[in-house]
Order: sequence, then C-alpha cells, then structure tokens
Amino acid sequence: MRKKLLAMALVTAMTVSLTACGGGGDSSTSANGGGSGSGSGNVAITIFNSKIEVQDQFEEMAKEYSAQKGVDVEVYYSSDTVSAHLATRYSANDPYTLSMVDAKDVYSLAAEHAADLSDQDWVKNTDYAISVDGKVVGFPVCVEARGVIYNAEAIEAITGSAFNPDDYKTLDAFNGLLEQLVAGGMTAPTGIMKEDWSLAGHFLTETYEQQPDVDAYISALHAGTADVVNNSKWNAMMDTFDALKQHNYAASSPVAAEREVSEQKLAEGEIAFMFGGNWDWSMINAYDYSENMGLMPVPQNTDDGSNEKLVGGGSKYFFIDSSENTSEEQRQAAKDFLNWLVFEEDGNAFLTEKCALVPAYSNIDASALDPLSKSVKKYADEGKLIDNYNFLPDDHFSICGAAFQKYLADQSDRAVFAADIEKYWSSTAPVEH
Amino acid sequence: MDTNSMSYKSKQFLMFAGVTTAVFAAVVIVPFIYGLYLTFTSWDGISTQKPFVGFANYAATFADGAYWQALGRTMIYSVIAVILVNVVAFILAFLVTSGVKGQNFFRAGFFVPNLIGGIVLGYIWKFVFNRAFVALGESLSIGALSTSWLATTNGAMLCLIIVSVWQYAGYMMLIYVAGFMSVSADVLEAARIDGCTNMQSIIHISVPLMVSSFVQCLFLTITRCFMVYDVNLSLTKGEPFNSSVMAAMHVYNQAFTYKNYGTGQAEALILFVVCAVVGVLQVYIGKKAEVSA
Repeated sequence: MRKKLLAMALVTAMTVSLTACGGGGDSSTSANGGGSGSGSGNVAITIFNSKIEVQDQFEEMAKEYSAQKGVDVEVYYSSDTVSAHLATRYSANDPYTLSMVDAKDVYSLAAEHAADLSDQDWVKNTDYAISVDGKVVGFPVCVEARGVIYNAEAIEAITGSAFNPDDYKTLDAFNGLLEQLVAGGMTAPTGIMKEDWSLAGHFLTETYEQQPDVDAYISALHAGTADVVNNSKWNAMMDTFDALKQHNYAASSPVAAEREVSEQKLAEGEIAFMFGGNWDWSMINAYDYSENMGLMPVPQNTDDGSNEKLVGGGSKYFFIDSSENTSEEQRQAAKDFLNWLVFEEDGNAFLTEKCALVPAYSNIDASALDPLSKSVKKYADEGKLIDNYNFLPDDHFSICGAAFQKYLADQSDRAVFAADIEKYWSSTAPVEH
Repeated sequence: MDTNSMSYKSKQFLMFAGVTTAVFAAVVIVPFIYGLYLTFTSWDGISTQKPFVGFANYAATFADGAYWQALGRTMIYSVIAVILVNVVAFILAFLVTSGVKGQNFFRAGFFVPNLIGGIVLGYIWKFVFNRAFVALGESLSIGALSTSWLATTNGAMLCLIIVSVWQYAGYMMLIYVAGFMSVSADVLEAARIDGCTNMQSIIHISVPLMVSSFVQCLFLTITRCFMVYDVNLSLTKGEPFNSSVMAAMHVYNQAFTYKNYGTGQAEALILFVVCAVVGVLQVYIGKKAEVSA
C-alpha cells in the first residue's frame, strides 16, 4: 500500500512539473504587468509589431498610452516570418487586435481577417492606405523607399567639390564618378548586399516597377510573352548593377559579403555607394556614421524619368482583427489607437521622433528625421516615388534571389539570369489584387 | 489480488504510464494525424478554410524538383557526416580511455561543443569561415583560404559537414567511452596473454563487444543529420544560390515561407518515412550483429 502511495505521489509530482513547463512562448510586455487587463476593468488590446528596430519604443509607448488612455496595451514581437507567426496565433484562436504586417500580407489576410476601416478619418490624409474589395483595411505605418545610398562626405573628400546626386542621373555620369573615386584612392567604391530580399525583393523588383505598366509586364511574364533579355528597363537597371558589381569591395567573393560589414564600410566612408533603402539607417547608425548621407535614384542611361525617382511607398500596415475573438470594444480601442497616431501630438511624436519613421500622413510634420529618411521625404513630397509592386508570390525572394546570386557571383550571365526569371514566372502567378 | 486480470493490468498501466501516454498522444500522435489530414488540403497556414484537394499535394511534392534535390543533398551530407562523426568519435573515445594524462579533462573538453546550441554554433563558425579563415589565408597567402568557403557550392556543404562533426563527435564519444569501459578487463587481459597486439584486441575483442554503442551512435547521428535545420539555418541559410538547402529547411520554406502548408506537410511526411526506414533498418541490422560476452 505504501509503495502505491509513493508511486501516486511521484506521478502527481511529475505531472505538476510537466504542466509547469508549459506556458511561456512569445516575448511580451504587459502594460501594467498584470496580463490582459486583469482586474483593472480596462479594455485590453494586443499589438503585433514586426519592425524589430522600434520594439523598445513600442513597449515604452504602450506603458504611457495605457496610463493616459485607460486602455491596456500589450506589444508583441516575433522573429518568425510575419505570416508564419500570425498563422500560429490564428490557429490558437488568439489573434492580435492590431497586427503590423507587410503590404502583401494585407492582401492575403484581409478578406478573412481584417476589419473595414473605410469610415476612419485618417483615410483622407494618406495616399498609401490599402483597400481590398473596395474597403480600406490597411493602415500605413510609414513611408519607405529604396535607391542608392551614398556617403557624400567620402565622395567629397576625394573629388573636392560638393556632391549633388542630381548630377549623376545617368550611368555614364555615375561611371565617371566611380572612375574618379578609384583614381582618388577608393579602390572599391561600392557594396552590394547579397541577401535575397535585397537582390530579388528590391533590385530585381525595381526592374518590374519601372516598367510603364507593371501589371501588364508581370502578366506578360506569366504568359511567357515578355522578352526579358531585350527589355530596355531591365537592361538599363542591369547595366547599373554591373557597374556596382564591378566596383564591389567584395568582388572576389560577393556572396560571402556580410550586411553588417557593408553597412559599416558605407557608414564610415570606406565605400561610397550601396543599393538599399532608408531602413538601412537602423544599421548604419550603429557605426561611426557620417551625417552627410542620403538616398538617390538608381542612375540609369534612360530618358523615361525613372532615374529621377526612388521606388517606394507605404510600408508596414496595421490591420484590425475582424473575428469574434476580438470584441467590439477592443476594435474600437484599436481604432482609437490608430487615430491617436495620426491626429494627436503624442502619437505623431511617437512615429516621427521616437521611431524615426517617415510619416505616411499629410498632416504630420516631420523635420527631425535621419538623413536617409529625409531623402525619402523629399522625393515623396515632390511626388517622385514609383509605387511598390506588392503582389510578388512568396517564393519570389528565394528562387529569383538564388538566380540573382548566381549572376552576382559570375556563375551565370544576363541571358541565363533572364531565362531563370522567365522560367520562374511561367509557373507562378502574382498575388491576386 | 489477481495480478493477471485485465482491470489490474490496465490500472497498473494507467498509474505508471497513463500521464506520459496522454502527453505523448497530445503532442505527437494527435498532431501527426492532424498533419496527415492537412496533407489532403490546400491550406495556406492561416486561412479559416481548409479546402480538401485529395492527393494534389503529393503530386506537387513529386513534381517539386527543389525538394528532391534537397533530399538528395541531405543524403550525401548525412552519409559523409555520419561516417566522419563516428570515426572521429571512436578515435577520440579510444584516446581518452587509453589512460592519457588528464583524460577526464579531455572528455569534458570534447563534449563541450555539444552543449552549445546549433544556432549559436552556426553563427560562431560562420564568423570563423567568413572572417578568421579569410584573414589567415590573406596574411599567409594561402589561396584555398583567401576566399570564404561559404561562398561556393561545395564549400558550403563542406562547412556544414565540418561543423556537424565538430558538434556531434564529442557526444558520440561519450557513448563510445561507455562502450570501451563496458568491455571487461579480464577478456582484454586474456587476449593479451594469448598474444593479441593492441590493434588486434580493439578490432577483435572491443569492437564486437561494443556493437550496441555503434547501433546507438549510428541511429542518433543518422536521424540528426537527416533532420538538420538549426546549423543549416544559421551557418549557410541555404546560400549560396539555395545550393545548401537541406530537406528540413525546404519543408519549412515550403510550408511557412511559400505558404503551401499542405505541400510542405506532405514533404515532411516523406522525409519522416525516409528517416524512419533508414533508422529502423540500421537498428535492425545492428542488433543482429550484437554479441554477448
């Protein structure tokens, strides 16, 4: 009998320890340390943040916002891909009230999961909101754009004259400058990020986005009628890529180049140019950077005006969950939060000063931005932004990125690369929109 | 008390294994069956609808060239890594049981790499391959080292194998050490009296007596190599040009990145079957070779 008791006791102990191991999971901060509004009687909302560089700011804001507005806000971040992480939350019937996702995720999620925001006041203050089926569902968090990042200080140290990016719109002029830099002692003035999201997600995508009619071009690619290798936009962009590649500091083994190293070299003026976007500032500012930097359009030998524009637009979108797992009060609190971001001073300051984001709303003033974001704002204000193409299938990065890496590493030529892209699109359709 | 009755037996079972069985069912059996169900749907991982598509995912799996390439690559990697891990582990085990000075220290030292998680290990070695080796190669002008191995197709695979050997050899060494210790001293002494050389006594006495260690080590290394993901992710991330994507990574990408959950699940199932067949076969053959002293 005693043995039996002992055995039972052991079993119980082990069961308890086992259940104790459960729980845990995502990192989160609770506004008042007490979980989802337990006991306080306040409405509790959850926010999913997918911009790692502003997670600290979001957590701090959640505390202040909760104290001020009497709404418990919890902010979560996950290092998983956005869709994979949201998938786990949706399968657990525990979606976030507000989720910050990429534009393509809005298109794939909105029909089933996003609440209609068409009646919100901020809609008329932005050009970047996303509508699906005639309803506004995506709240743009910021504006981001890509182009060639330059370090003017490093350039001026060699040329001796002020650097004005407008003088280098054409590839010929740009090449001339590169030669001048090489002659002046900067043996390799450029860097290239080998990451697939940069090569295929940004540079290759720009060859689509600069087409006169991007949807028609993609449809032609899908139908197999686009002649990539003879396409003038493609060739203009790839000519510039060749110039960047030729002067790449990591030319001997370009696919081993590490992003941190490239960003550091650029920040400190060891190289002068790299294709990127204003999000790169969050890495550049980790080093001994020069203030005199900026973002310029990709130089090209073309006269269609695309070499005077950056490519970009709204980036990162909030949507509000529409399922029954979120109550009407929570949805209203989430809408109030979005209005707070756009229409209240504290909210504006949070976006532009604390998070250093380029605002997507005409009423928000932003004067204290970082150098790259300043360039983006300048081009955006002048209407010189080419729209993002947000409808790439999810495997575009990976498959076309691999093809682009081969080109970068000189393991294929432009004709092979073009054929790879045609092959990819022949079996893949863009996201429906 | 009738110890043979059904109710007594089931009570005993429930008391001792009930909880574990329930937990095992909850975290392994049920997800497995649910996963099997998902292979027949075209679920994207997040939608509320799971349309039934029959065997379309299996058809897609067989048509997915990248998957079969990844699987073939995983096999090559596994064969080389398994052999190297076990050879190195066996030699290490022999050395640290042969009575060298400070052998306990060496045992601990060789085991340490296994305590570092695969992700961290991958990042550390990435630094070594990308920076340390390159710096060394440039300063000593050794051509083979002056560019990063991770940038070439075969180099990346080689790096993966090196890191796996480094990671697992210490762990397997412990099992082989236990094997060496279990060979009783009198048998070895008898062999020596009969005129066995050191080499002969290892090959003809120790090795046959420690077959169970080999079975265990091979099983562990084979399954781990087939399922490799963490080192793959942090060391090469499938680069260059997706040429070092292993089967598990392809499955993850297919299911979560490309949002073809059903197809990814079907591919995972095939990976599981391959793994299970190889593992069981290996244990079956190994068990047959076991002898008892």
